[in-house]
Amino acid sequence: MKKPSSRALFAKLFGPSAKGISVEKSVLTGYAAAGGTKVCVIGTCDGTYVDNAAALRLAAHVIDCVEKHPKTPIVMLVDSAGQEPNRVAEMLGLASYFGHLLSCLELARRKGHKLITVATGQAVGGAFICYGMFGDRIYALDSASVGLMPVEAMSAVTKIPVPVLRKLSRTMPSLEFGAKPFALLGGVEEVWSAKEDVQAKLAKAIAAASTEDNRAELGKKRGGRKLALDIRKKVLAAAAR
Amino acid sequence: MTRGPLFHEQTARQRLAALVDPGSFDELLPPPERITSPYLAQLGIPVSFDDGVVIGKAKIGGRKVYIAAQVGQFVGGAVGEIHGAKLTGLFKAAARDKVPCIVVIESGGVRLHEGSAGEIAIAETMRAIFECRAKKVPTIAVIGSDIGAYGGMGILSTCCDFRVMSEHGRLGISGPIVIEKWMGKKAYDSSNRALVWKTSGGKTKYLLGDADALVHDDAGAIREAIAKLLGKSSAVTLKAMKTRQKELEKRLKRFGQTADPDAVWKGMGVRNIEAASLASGPEFAAMAKRGK
Repeated sequence: MKKPSSRALFAKLFGPSAKGISVEKSVLTGYAAAGGTKVCVIGTCDGTYVDNAAALRLAAHVIDCVEKHPKTPIVMLVDSAGQEPNRVAEMLGLASYFGHLLSCLELARRKGHKLITVATGQAVGGAFICYGMFGDRIYALDSASVGLMPVEAMSAVTKIPVPVLRKLSRTMPSLEFGAKPFALLGGVEEVWSAKEDVQAKLAKAIAAASTEDNRAELGKKRGGRKLALDIRKKVLAAAAR
Repeated sequence: MTRGPLFHEQTARQRLAALVDPGSFDELLPPPERITSPYLAQLGIPVSFDDGVVIGKAKIGGRKVYIAAQVGQFVGGAVGEIHGAKLTGLFKAAARDKVPCIVVIESGGVRLHEGSAGEIAIAETMRAIFECRAKKVPTIAVIGSDIGAYGGMGILSTCCDFRVMSEHGRLGISGPIVIEKWMGKKAYDSSNRALVWKTSGGKTKYLLGDADALVHDDAGAIREAIAKLLGKSSAVTLKAMKTRQKELEKRLKRFGQTADPDAVWKGMGVRNIEAASLASGPEFAAMAKRGK
């Protein structure tokens, strides 16, 4: 599948209002419109790594939105290969920078901002966990690479041969890499095809969003993650006894 | 001073027994329920009846708590579907019942053998932690094991109200071996233990303000630190977020160009690096406070 340019992709999602998104070192911040209503946009592009400075810029923009644009929905675009694998970033507490970004998003959620994620490119590892997976509802373009890691990388670390993982992934979508298997796990609400009217889809998604985390329910219903919901319920029942 | 066994050498169940009031631990979904990972079974890897995390109800100083401890000996304490669902369930129960929740972390993050399921489970647990925080139910991460808190579990720990660390604990995302592979041995020699600990260890995290307590490698000391935090919570407010934003900006500006952890220590007020390196956690905390 041909990968669209970042700007073309923003235009596809936000129409002419996409000009309100500024990109600096592959980190995007700005305000645009979806379905005629103003939205705040944060995100990454070009498959960049998220480092301390990037996390701070995203957090600052969320704070700006909470302060100056009450209840404006926040759209989070994800195209990042992961957290910056760097010793200085770690020494300065990259995890805490991510925790701060997540806390700012939580503040926004509690103040009535809807949080919608669209995985547009790479959405893997720490970079997806540090903001995208924290959305109220998470969507992915069918061109996006969503998941923990490709089977080859999983094989390299676990020493389990690629053919074995591939064969198992047919019955265990969790082992497969991509937006569609991720949706089977409930991690993505819906996969959008680039051929569809994604502007309309985004507007609809914002309108329909709810703060209730429905991923375990979806994963069970879709059959990709059969155990999570039941185990959680068992714990809740056992704790009440 | 005579102390008990070292916390980092204890097993998850030993740690829990030592942290909570004697006899108060009541395990939820205990091993006899035989809840095991279908992924590991399919891959021909041994399974564990608790899937690498022990969860339960207990009391600390007479106060009711929910508490979890990850089992580092079992696939590195990594989070799979069941393991993660146990954690999510426990934090959700904590939010529902308004009972403080503690997680004793010993994990490299997501269990690769289970692919994306573990990743989603960590994200779900983060949501559950913030459910607790919205209700001012204290959430505390304890980081004092050999494996530390890395990957998604490192990030998850920063979502809790408080982090209690021993100098032995390490907090981060990418581990030293991963970074060495990416950047080369010159940039990060993962066999240089002093450098690894000064990068991610409890002392540096405490100095920078990412750990709220730095205590002895001892369950009694950790228990004391937890007990002090049980009545408190850290609010997610606009004011708090703006303050934190400034702190983190300042930190990056001051130390972003520094590769040397000693410069960070000096910058944070440690005068005698050698003495500080040898000091115990609490001694170090006291020295840092006095600017020694």
